[in-house]
Amino acid sequence: MSGRLRGEAAGALLAGLGAVFLALAVGAGLILATGRDPAAAYLALFGGALGSPDRIAFAFNKATPYVLTAVGVALCFRAKVINIGGEGQIALGGLAAAWVALSVPLPAGALVPACLAAGAAAGALWAGLAALIRLWRGVHEVLCTLLLNFIALLLVAEALKGDLGETGAGFPQSPLLPAGAWLPRLTGTMHLGIGLAAVAAVLGSVYLWRTTFGFRLRLVGASRAAAVYAGVSPARTLVSVMLIAGGLAGLAGGIEVLGVHRRLIEGFSNGLGFTAIGIALLAGASPLAALPAGLLFGLLEAGALAMQRQVGVPSSLVPIIQGLTMVFVLCALGLRARRGGA
Amino acid sequence: MDAALLTDLLAAAVRIATPLLLAALGGILSERSGTFAVAIEGMMLAGAFGAAVAAMAAGAPAGPLAGPLAGPLAGLLASAAAGMLVASLVAVATTRFSTDQMVTGLAVNILVAGLTSYLLRALAGGRTPVVRFPVLAPWPVPFLHDIPVLGPVLFGQPPLTYLAVVLAVALGLVLARSRAGLLVRAAGENPQAVFATGTDPVRVRVWSILACGALAGLGGAALSLQQVGSFTDGMTHGRGFIALAALIVGRWAPVPVALACLVFGLVSALALRAQGWGLPVSSYVMQMMPYALALVALAGIGRAARLPAAIGTPFRRE
Repeated sequence: MSGRLRGEAAGALLAGLGAVFLALAVGAGLILATGRDPAAAYLALFGGALGSPDRIAFAFNKATPYVLTAVGVALCFRAKVINIGGEGQIALGGLAAAWVALSVPLPAGALVPACLAAGAAAGALWAGLAALIRLWRGVHEVLCTLLLNFIALLLVAEALKGDLGETGAGFPQSPLLPAGAWLPRLTGTMHLGIGLAAVAAVLGSVYLWRTTFGFRLRLVGASRAAAVYAGVSPARTLVSVMLIAGGLAGLAGGIEVLGVHRRLIEGFSNGLGFTAIGIALLAGASPLAALPAGLLFGLLEAGALAMQRQVGVPSSLVPIIQGLTMVFVLCALGLRARRGGA
Repeated sequence: MDAALLTDLLAAAVRIATPLLLAALGGILSERSGTFAVAIEGMMLAGAFGAAVAAMAAGAPAGPLAGPLAGPLAGLLASAAAGMLVASLVAVATTRFSTDQMVTGLAVNILVAGLTSYLLRALAGGRTPVVRFPVLAPWPVPFLHDIPVLGPVLFGQPPLTYLAVVLAVALGLVLARSRAGLLVRAAGENPQAVFATGTDPVRVRVWSILACGALAGLGGAALSLQQVGSFTDGMTHGRGFIALAALIVGRWAPVPVALACLVFGLVSALALRAQGWGLPVSSYVMQMMPYALALVALAGIGRAARLPAAIGTPFRRE
C-alpha cells in the first residue's frame, strides 16, 4: 500500500471517528432537551453494552448481521453501486434457511451448512434480480432494491401464514427449528456468527485489493469509460458484486435465524439492512473497516435497551445517532471530493 | 360489481393517492431542479408527526386556540414546517457539502425515523405510544357531489385532496409557463446556463428542496391527519418511495404523475378490500401489489425515463 493510500485510510478513519463523536454530541443535546442527563444516559449505554461478558456477547451477536451485510454494501460502493436491498436479502436468507431446517431431512452435521448456503443463495438471487432489472431496463438500483425489500418482507409474512408458520402461536413465527440446525455457540450466548463475519471482512478486503475481480470492481467504480476501454464489462461487474453482496446479506439472515432466534419470526430483519449502509459508509467502503464499524453500531444497539431501562431515554436515540453519523460522514466525503476534484 | 361498491373503491383510491400525490409534487420540484428526492419518505414522516403533535396540542378543548378549525390548521402548518426542516438538512448537505444525494436521502430517512420515534416517546411516554386525533371531515361540494358515482369519488373528499389536485395543476402551469418554472428546470438541466443569466442555480435548488419539504410534509399530514387519524412509528411505511416511483413513471410532469399516483391508490384500495370481497388471494400477496406494480411500471418505462441532465451533480462555478 503506498503512502498516499495509507494517508487516505487514516483520513477516512479520522473522519469516521469525528462523525461518531459529533453525532453523540448532538444526541447529548437532544437528551438534555428532553430533560435527562446525557452523561448518565451514555454511561448506561456503554455499561449496558460492555458491562459483563454476556452483554459483550449480546453486542457481538447484534453486530454479526451488520458486519456481513456492510461488507457486501462496501464492495458495492466501490463499484459505485448503491445496494440498499440488504433488508430484503436478509429476510429471504432467513426464510430459505428456516425452510431448509424445517423441511429437508439432513444429518446433524450437514444441516447448518446447508441452511446457511440456502440463505446465501436466496439473498444472492434477490440481489441478482435487482441487478438484472437495473441492467436490462435501466431502473436505478436504489429503486429496484428498495421496492424488492417490501416484497421480500411480505413474502416472509406470507410463508409464515402458510406452511412454515407455527399453528396456534399468537405471533407470526415458525416452529422452533430442530436442534441440529442451531448455530453452534462460542460462549453461553455468543454464536459462531461473529467469527464468520470477521472472516467475511478479511476475505472481502483481500478480494477487493488482491484479486483481479477486485481490481475490475475498483476500475468500474473509478471510471466506467476507462473500464470499458480496458475490456472490463461494467455489466458483469455489477452482477457479480450484487451477487456477492446479496449472498453475504442472505448469510446474515440465515445466521440471525439459526443463531439468535432459532426460528423464523416476522420482522426479524427490520432495520438491519439500512443500518448496514450506514456502517459501510462509516467504514469508508472498506470491507475490513466494516468489522470495527459494525461492532460499534452493535454495541450502541446492545446498550440502548439498558439506557432506556435505567435512565428512561428512548432507545430510538440509536437510529438518530446512526443517521447523523451517516450525514456527517457524507459531508466529510463531499468536502474531500470537492477539494481533491476541482 | 354494483355502483355502491365501485364508488367506495374509487373514492378510497383517490383518498389513498392524496399523500402520494402531495409528496410526488414535491419530488418533481426537487428532481427537476437537480436533486434526487430520496428523502421525501423522511419528509413525509416528519410532516405526519408534526401534524399529529400540533393537531393534538391545538385541538385540545382547553388548548390556546380552541375551536373546530384550530387543530387541523395548526396541524397543516406544522406538517409543512416539519417537512421543510428535514429539507433544510438535505439542502445544506447536498449544496454546501456536495454530498451524494441518494445516500444523503437514505441517511436522512433513518434520522427522521429515529427522531420522530424519540420525540413521540418524549411527548406521549410509554413503550409503543400512539397519538390519536379526529380525522379531517370530507367537504362535499354542493350539487356536484350528487352526481352518481363520480360525485362522491371526486367531490366528496376531504380538503387536502382538493388541495393536492389544485397544486398539481398549478405546479404544471408554473413549471411550463413561468420564469420561476424555467429557472427550476434549467437548474436541473444546465445550471451553468442559469449562472450565466445572473441567477445562482444553487439558490434555485435550495428553494426547490425546501418547497419539496413543505409539499411532502403536507403529504404526511394527508396521511396522519386526513387518512388515519393517528401517528405511530414509521407510519409512512415506504409511501415516499412509491411516490418516487410514481414520479418517474409520470416522467416528472404533474398531471401524468397524478395519474400514476391514482393507479397506485387504486391498487392499494383493491388490496385492502380483497379480503372482504372473499377473493381467493392472500392479503399479503395483495399488499405486495403496489410495490410490484411500481417495479413493473419502472421496468416498463425503462430507459425512456430521461432524468434531468444535471441531476445528482453538485453545481460548481467554472
